Amino acid sequence: MSKTLTLLLASAAMTAAIGLPAWSALHAPGQGETIAPLAALTATANDARPLILAENDDHEDEGGSVTRRESNDDEGACEDDDGNCGTAAAAAPAPAGSVPPPQNGLFDNGTAPKVQVK
Amino acid sequence: MMKSLLAALALSTALSFPAVAMAKPVTLSATLRDYGGNNAYLAVYVTDQNNNYVGSLWLAGSRTRYFEHLSGWYNATGGDSSQINGITGASVGSGRTLEVTLDLKDALFDAGYKLHIDAAAENMRESPNDVVVPLTAAGAGKPVKGRRYISSFTYKM
Repeated sequence: MSKTLTLLLASAAMTAAIGLPAWSALHAPGQGETIAPLAALTATANDARPLILAENDDHEDEGGSVTRRESNDDEGACEDDDGNCGTAAAAAPAPAGSVPPPQNGLFDNGTAPKVQVK
Repeated sequence: MMKSLLAALALSTALSFPAVAMAKPVTLSATLRDYGGNNAYLAVYVTDQNNNYVGSLWLAGSRTRYFEHLSGWYNATGGDSSQINGITGASVGSGRTLEVTLDLKDALFDAGYKLHIDAAAENMRESPNDVVVPLTAAGAGKPVKGRRYISSFTYKM
């Protein structure tokens, strides 16, 4: 009798251990919802939510949007998103709104530019 | 007590007026042609009456490795990111319109300054000085045609 109970408890524990994360993963969160804790524990890199890029420049992720000069044969080796590829430009510029405009004598104050693309 | 409050109010009002008068919200609007390629990078910058680079107003496109293709701007700045901190945004698609509103100094207008826009798109030709337009009060609101990528550019005050 105690052996049966032990087997029953063991199978229940195994079911819970396997089933709960699977159930949790099936109920993947929608936008704005929080991720289920158990699913988060079992999530792999492949089933994680879509990667959100820091910059919202979709077309650039398809290979860049600027002409590549033929003379720059080694440009393909430069894949650093921050552009740290040995040119004078070392760091990516801060996007509008994250810092005030530069003090270059053109801007009246530190008001952030308003931008829209229609 | 009341008198000194009024005096302080009058003084602060008087001091704030020149500041307001010196500020000018200017909207730059560039509509791209349907050139059919990927998004274009645009560099908007100002030169003085001697064609010396003064400063940048906007850069559309964030990856520094492409900046060299904005050759007029790049030659003037060496691609220095500090020139465009706080004034960059996404690159602009074919046929789309970029609209940027900036608080610019009044002194920029009718003083011999010119606004330049360099443009480039992948696998297409670079276009330095796609637009070059003198900054004048009279020129505000008047559309200007670009050379290659920009079909129309206006600035409004």
